Amino acid sequence: MESSPTPAGHRVDPLGDPFLRTCFALPARPVTFLPRPRLTRHLDQALRTPLTMVNGAAGAGKTLLVADWAAGLARAPAWLTVESEEKRPGMFWAYFLHALRACGSPVSGQVDRPADANRVSRRMLSAIAEDLEGRSPAVTVVLDEYDRVTVPEVAEQLDFVLQHAGQGLRLVLVTRTEPMLSLHRYRAAGALTEIRNADLAFTPEEAAALLGRHGLSLPVATARALVQRTRGWAAGLRLSALAAQHSPDPETYLKEFEAGRSTVADFLLAEVLKRQPTQTQDLLLRVSVLDRLCPDLANALTGRSDADRILSELCGSNAFVEQLGHSWYRLHPLFGEILRAHLRVRCPGLEPELHRRAARWLRGAGSLRGTLTHGAAAGDWEFTAGALVDDLAIGQFFTGLRSDDLARLFSRMDPGAGGPAADLVRAARDLSQSDLDHGTAHLRHAEARFATGTADPATAQLCCALLEALAARLSGSPARAERAAEAADEVQPGVPSHLLDKHPELPALLLTHLGSARVWAGRFEDARVSLSKVVGSPAGASTLLAREESLGHLALIDYLNGWTDRAEHKALEAVSGTEQCGPFGPAGSGIGRVVLAAVAVDRDELARAEALLDEADGQPGALHDPVTAAGRAMVAARLQLARGNTRAAVEAADPAVSADVASPWADSAETLVTSAAHLAEGRGESAAEVLRQLGDGRPACAVEAARIQLAVGNAGAAIDLLDGVPGARPAGPAVTVRASLVRAQAADASGDAVSARRLVAQALHEARRERLRRPFLDAGRWLRPLLVTAPLNQLAAGWLRPGPSPYGPPAGLGGPPWPIVVEELSAREQDVLERLAQMMSTQEIAADLFVSVNTVKTHLKSLYRKLGVNRRSDAARRGRDLQLL
Amino acid sequence: MRYEIRVDGMMSDTLAKAFPELDHVVMSGQTVLYGFVVDEAQLYGLLARCQSLGLHVLEMRQVPG
Repeated sequence: MESSPTPAGHRVDPLGDPFLRTCFALPARPVTFLPRPRLTRHLDQALRTPLTMVNGAAGAGKTLLVADWAAGLARAPAWLTVESEEKRPGMFWAYFLHALRACGSPVSGQVDRPADANRVSRRMLSAIAEDLEGRSPAVTVVLDEYDRVTVPEVAEQLDFVLQHAGQGLRLVLVTRTEPMLSLHRYRAAGALTEIRNADLAFTPEEAAALLGRHGLSLPVATARALVQRTRGWAAGLRLSALAAQHSPDPETYLKEFEAGRSTVADFLLAEVLKRQPTQTQDLLLRVSVLDRLCPDLANALTGRSDADRILSELCGSNAFVEQLGHSWYRLHPLFGEILRAHLRVRCPGLEPELHRRAARWLRGAGSLRGTLTHGAAAGDWEFTAGALVDDLAIGQFFTGLRSDDLARLFSRMDPGAGGPAADLVRAARDLSQSDLDHGTAHLRHAEARFATGTADPATAQLCCALLEALAARLSGSPARAERAAEAADEVQPGVPSHLLDKHPELPALLLTHLGSARVWAGRFEDARVSLSKVVGSPAGASTLLAREESLGHLALIDYLNGWTDRAEHKALEAVSGTEQCGPFGPAGSGIGRVVLAAVAVDRDELARAEALLDEADGQPGALHDPVTAAGRAMVAARLQLARGNTRAAVEAADPAVSADVASPWADSAETLVTSAAHLAEGRGESAAEVLRQLGDGRPACAVEAARIQLAVGNAGAAIDLLDGVPGARPAGPAVTVRASLVRAQAADASGDAVSARRLVAQALHEARRERLRRPFLDAGRWLRPLLVTAPLNQLAAGWLRPGPSPYGPPAGLGGPPWPIVVEELSAREQDVLERLAQMMSTQEIAADLFVSVNTVKTHLKSLYRKLGVNRRSDAARRGRDLQLL
Repeated sequence: MRYEIRVDGMMSDTLAKAFPELDHVVMSGQTVLYGFVVDEAQLYGLLARCQSLGLHVLEMRQVPG
């Protein structure tokens, strides 16, 4: 390990498990291995071409050939034996990067590590390619058993990295099936070295030499016939050597085999197997259920203690077993399959029992992944669920890292499987899909079992508290969430600390759920306490989603208090984590995007707001919680109001969530939209009437209510409302700007032009920095004459009104100051604008849209007016500036 | 879909157990595995299984019925 401190991401894979060391070891060649110079020479070309493919049937001798070649290289290549876990892009690239570290050529620390097992970003791949591009000499990476990568994305990503790494990367793929890279392109460019099955086939001379290594001296004619019978297949030759070794007359034996018509591996394996001592046969059959094994695990399956000796003997004679290093072995994959078939015939019904023993051994050895796999294969659900709960790993149902795997694994769970752990797993599975009814029912079952049990393990109680907090959040029940959090605090001291260290996601998720429930209740300060704890704890792959959710909720609190800029910063941070992992990050509730949409509405960037809402909706498997639903409804309604669609606004304002208790801010948001809609439709009475239902005393509410009161002519009520706003906790600019505008309007109406001007100037000053345009657009007609006269016109220039600003561009996230689009473009105008930007003529646009030239001219005219331009080229440029294109 | 997969060599009954979902018949130095295949995914799975058992596939075809 390095001396400098490294982030946890360097030692563990995206699932938070340590890397499997055996994947990075160059496979050892057995003593009977026959070096084949014609092939190693061929492989030397691999140092000159970006891509090399060694492609052949199982048991064709691919791996040992490449390992032999690699061992002879001056610079050790990075070696990665792909495991089935690594077929997912995030896992694959994590292992890829670790293989580079393991061979002493790590990529720079600047390159991100994949955080999500399922995805990697294009940016990360570019960074990897860029890092490799500078390498001289090139780094060679061997990917053995690449056929296990069945996901097309990985092939596409490898292709990308290979293309962009130039001369810095030499990739060697060892695979049974042809990889989904565009091989023809590499071939045409002379950039591919290929060794295929036919090349790997043994020649009669090589076969004779191989048999010689097994102590069999045979005439070339016999070897030739054997090569014909086995098609030069390495595994076939090796097995025939092993079978003949034990025969009194090997040559006759081989002749008989040559004459036979049985399938080669099948026949020979049975022959070799039956010549082994009974204990060896028994061990081989039993361990065939394992991917990899060590002597102790093998002993657990046989119930004996002779595995160490047997395995090293088998390994020495190169029969069935390969050494992985660190005293781990595996069966040759080809023989493993056939041995399993033999196991089923010889010991029917033993397989589940073997899986059960393997699961128990692996649990004792601390391998949760293996425990779950074998426990599920054994159909021992009570045990398997118990292992997950006892490991405190139930939070992984919700972290997006392993949630799919867990859901799939436990989807086969027998509905009759008993025990509180099984109920907890069922509850987790249902709640992760926002199925509140079933989830809660399972949770109650589990709790009932706890109540009757005598000794309650603290870990199970803590898992239960997490699920209870989630159920409370989803059902909008703050009191329940508080009780769950208290229960968690009570049991936590009883939970082994190493488990808590291993699963930071559990407390993080719990605090997030608690925070969300507190937001629902409108208890923003309490919510901030628990959410900030999550954000303040060290970042890691497993807590990524909880962090994002917490940031998203904190952003919502800021937004509701009028702190637009702060809300945007937090929301951007919330969504950027998932964006690193591609367009569809692990599924949270989408609250971050909802807040960004809310900010966009306040800035009158309506198209952007709509796109963000669509993105928030488009998240597959998103959690349906009332806070997000209410937030979304609020933003969608405000968006419709801004567009003047009052009816749609009222419809959108109803969040359609069923919650145990009402949420003050969600209710008042709905009320205010309804009132504003009445106002917009000219029903001042109704607007004022609706406002009476408003029970929320938050400044943001009071100010909006004041605006409506003033608009319907109740100036006194409006000022009372504003004066009643508690000054203890200052509200953000989105609130104070609106308040100033209401006071300005009141002043203007009463003829106090000086005060009105002063108040508008104050509002412009405050709003300018955050580009808050919506309050001015909502303010009404009285404001227009003020904004065009000095000095207010200068304060408004550059962000609210067209024209250069004497104050420079408003601060913010950078980028050009966007002059306001006073009116949204119609769908047709948008169509015309897009075609304009593609340099299409008026006639072409007309033909493309199936309308007359005159109609296009009409659209152009209104388009120019809305964009404040006079020429086509300016329209296109302005359209781009405004992000309409 | 009914399929038959013809592989080189006479398969032992033991090895045929690796294809519990298919029937098999041994004829003239070849083995024909046949039966109902649910979808393409299963078909490719069967082919992969042939490969990992070291079987040499000579022919694979859909048969009526």
